[in-house]
Amino acid sequence: MNAVDATEHYEARADDPSPSLLTIILDTNPHAWATLEDSLPLATAVANLLVFIDAHLACNYANEVAVVASHTHKAAWLYPSHEQQQQQEQQQQQPHQNAPKHIRTDGDGDVAMKGETQGKAQPVNKYRPFRLVEEQVTRNLRHLLESTDLADVKASSSTMMAGALTLALSHINRRGIAWADAHGGDLDTAQEGASSTRLKDSATSTSTSSTGEGLQSRILVLSVSSSTDSAHQYIPIMNAIFACQRLHIPIDICKLRGDAVFLQQAADATRGIYMALAHPSGLLQYLLMAFLPDQRSRRHLVLPTRVDVDFRAACFCHRRVVDIGFVCSICLSIFCEPPENGDCLTCGTRLDLADYGTKPAVLARKKKKKKLRPNGAAAADTPTPVGTPGP
Amino acid sequence: MAATSSRPFEYLEGLPGTVFYKLYQQPSTALAIFRRMLPDLAKCFVMALLYLKDPLPAADLEIWVKPESKKERDNALSILGRLHILSNTTMADNVRAYMVTNPFASSLRQALTGAGETQSFGEISQADEDRPVSVAALDEYARRQWESVLGYMVGTSGLGEQQNPVNLSKGVKQLLQAGHLVEIRDRRVEITQDGFAFVLQDVNRQVWHIVILYVESAEAIGMDSVEVLSFLFLLSSLELGQSYEKRNLTSNQLRTLTDLADFGIVYQESPDATRFYPTRLATTLTSDSSALNNPISGAIAGPPGTGAGKEGSGFIIIETNYRLYAYTSSPLQISLIALFTTLKYRFPNLITGKITRQSVRRAIEMGITADQIISYLSNHAHPQMRKHNILRSTSNKAGMPPTILPPTVVDQIRLWQLERDRVKATPGFLFKDFVSLAEYEAPCRYAEEIGVLVWKSDRKRMFFVTRHEQVAAFLRSRANRPMQ
Amino acid sequence: MPRAVRGVLIECDPSVKAIILKYDEERHDYIVEDLDDDRHLVIKESQLQNLKIRLGKELDEKVMQPEESESE
Repeated sequence: MNAVDATEHYEARADDPSPSLLTIILDTNPHAWATLEDSLPLATAVANLLVFIDAHLACNYANEVAVVASHTHKAAWLYPSHEQQQQQEQQQQQPHQNAPKHIRTDGDGDVAMKGETQGKAQPVNKYRPFRLVEEQVTRNLRHLLESTDLADVKASSSTMMAGALTLALSHINRRGIAWADAHGGDLDTAQEGASSTRLKDSATSTSTSSTGEGLQSRILVLSVSSSTDSAHQYIPIMNAIFACQRLHIPIDICKLRGDAVFLQQAADATRGIYMALAHPSGLLQYLLMAFLPDQRSRRHLVLPTRVDVDFRAACFCHRRVVDIGFVCSICLSIFCEPPENGDCLTCGTRLDLADYGTKPAVLARKKKKKKLRPNGAAAADTPTPVGTPGP
Repeated sequence: MAATSSRPFEYLEGLPGTVFYKLYQQPSTALAIFRRMLPDLAKCFVMALLYLKDPLPAADLEIWVKPESKKERDNALSILGRLHILSNTTMADNVRAYMVTNPFASSLRQALTGAGETQSFGEISQADEDRPVSVAALDEYARRQWESVLGYMVGTSGLGEQQNPVNLSKGVKQLLQAGHLVEIRDRRVEITQDGFAFVLQDVNRQVWHIVILYVESAEAIGMDSVEVLSFLFLLSSLELGQSYEKRNLTSNQLRTLTDLADFGIVYQESPDATRFYPTRLATTLTSDSSALNNPISGAIAGPPGTGAGKEGSGFIIIETNYRLYAYTSSPLQISLIALFTTLKYRFPNLITGKITRQSVRRAIEMGITADQIISYLSNHAHPQMRKHNILRSTSNKAGMPPTILPPTVVDQIRLWQLERDRVKATPGFLFKDFVSLAEYEAPCRYAEEIGVLVWKSDRKRMFFVTRHEQVAAFLRSRANRPMQ
Repeated sequence: MPRAVRGVLIECDPSVKAIILKYDEERHDYIVEDLDDDRHLVIKESQLQNLKIRLGKELDEKVMQPEESESE
């Protein structure tokens, strides 16, 4: 009867948006949080962060979250923690033996929430997925802070950002594969997206793969430490950034204090959001407004980014942050001063320094010494500008 | 846009404002509506405004969205308005501003922070059980019940060999009839056109369809639809594998519970049991259908007996020559496939057939769409077909959307449908008799922005919209203004 | 003064539109507004089902269907 009528054949299909995985890296550097004590204590920040996580989970049934703590001496999982995953698996098989255990455990995690909700939340009135995340994050964070002793804190004033980024990336990769496995057909899109980008120029490929249907992942770094303290992690951090760039994982930076030189570059290279909060006490509003939209929504929104990105690099020999240095012509390693004997510390190539140091003639000097402040486009491709002529 | 044209949305939209006010008292309802009914951009707006003390000036919101996404923005705002989530206010200095309306805002905040006393997310049964019900058993229960509902509609009893037949309750049959999914003629059950379309949908949409039918019929017999609806949203926020206390439920909710158990949406040992279990059908109500993809639709779709195992759910192979092989002995699946295939042979675990122009035409005449056929086929494609395709697509050019089915078959099914599609009808309203071009242009542009414009002619100064309320209000507000 | 009229917008190809116009000529009971291009017109909501049935029948008779073998 309806054979001539095409109307219903074109009914808009409710196309299911693919879920997104948000990996949060929480910088727990005690040195830095100590200075923030007045405006935003860690407990309040965590409470705000938990509301933000709940908001993210609320957006889509299949949304996932992971939290990594980047501490002074190590990077640690806050959620999901390994034991918990096992527990969940067990729980799925025998749901009721574990159920009471969950209820008992929830007493210990509430300290951090008090800043937000004033008083103990009725455990029964919270959506269970929210509660599980909250309990685990607070429990693991508390455990992490308790297990940190004075020696650890004294030994270092920086944060293990590289380790945390790497943990986050490996988790994203694992979840991406698992998700594609579970959703059969979509594996191709995920794979194709990844493989095709290798062929393309990184500048053009961002637009193409954002339409992919795989698990949408992004990383949010809550940064409080200064990058200059972690210059020794320059290489692993940059490697993590390039991995993200290739996989189209935006790294969003929410900076509460300190200077985040490398993280600025991270946000810039991966097209993430960079925000330095002028008023850290308004953290939740910043998070909900700027950092909650996922990649799909971001296409429609005007996003806060930074125009003047600090592109300084750290040298490979002394881990100093430099803006002018020497570059090995073979492996592009950066040095703040000519290496001993002219042997590159990374690849061992014998570099001819010619007359460097002796009243240089203008021409010779120009050949050897390279400025390290690249323009924006070059920085998106490689950490160092290309094109030092041979020795 | 996500799920905006869906049936639950249409139903909710039609409810009066007071119903929304009552519904939004429950954090679980606010959360479920937020999650399921809103497009991405609308979710961003709500979350951005949720913790603001003052309303956000409309101009600020407009700056936040890229100019080229104006359409999406207006669409999001219109949906938020229709669901009574966002309201327009004017601030002190006559600036237009948006704010999240109150019972919704406070309930959503409660859902996020877990504050408040209302037991909005169910009460987990604390008592130890002698015989806990496993997730697998729940899936199996849900599958059996749901399949028997579908089987009843398609009339698989005629095909015999029904394993463990489930007796459907009278309520279920009445509901299917009331929803015009089946008709009883001469004591025989006959499926209607709507019914055909229904059985080929994915499970999530089927469940929603049934649930909305249920709410409508509940109203008819004097149950409070708000109570039933908020109970349904509550169910959707429960956790699979947990049992929940029944003692805090009202009598209407208990009645709903018993009715839903017939569909396999919840499980209880007996109507008098003190606890109930939500099944996967309930817990994924507010998810997108893809989240439910595997365990249950696989289990429901797959050959019975294999249960809710993890093995691939697909069983259909289609070749480029339109031949179809389905490894199934399920009478339900066989009769579904027979809707659009000319079946040829039947073996104990396999049927073969061919998709022909006639068979597809027949299906389309019954009200089944090509997209439904295609999505049914690709949802149930054999793992071998998926694997084959992945291998091919890696060597393929990048950028081509990979399909599981042979493209030629997909295209041909669409073409067979198209050759019968001669007319597209859109009910709505024609605006005409504009005096000047200027008078015509403004409302026309406005209609386009809010996404209701279907057709326009500048020359005749007419345009056609699907909804007239907002446009009419716009015209009135302009008419009140003095002439420029 | 502009006004709004309820109806159903029909989008179709010119040949089908011609058929609908022909039906309307009989008793002028289909069309609300002929939109003057080749592909659009607005008809009465109550007549939609009727029109579909009539069109379906007519097209079945007049449009040639290719032969198809069901063999093998």
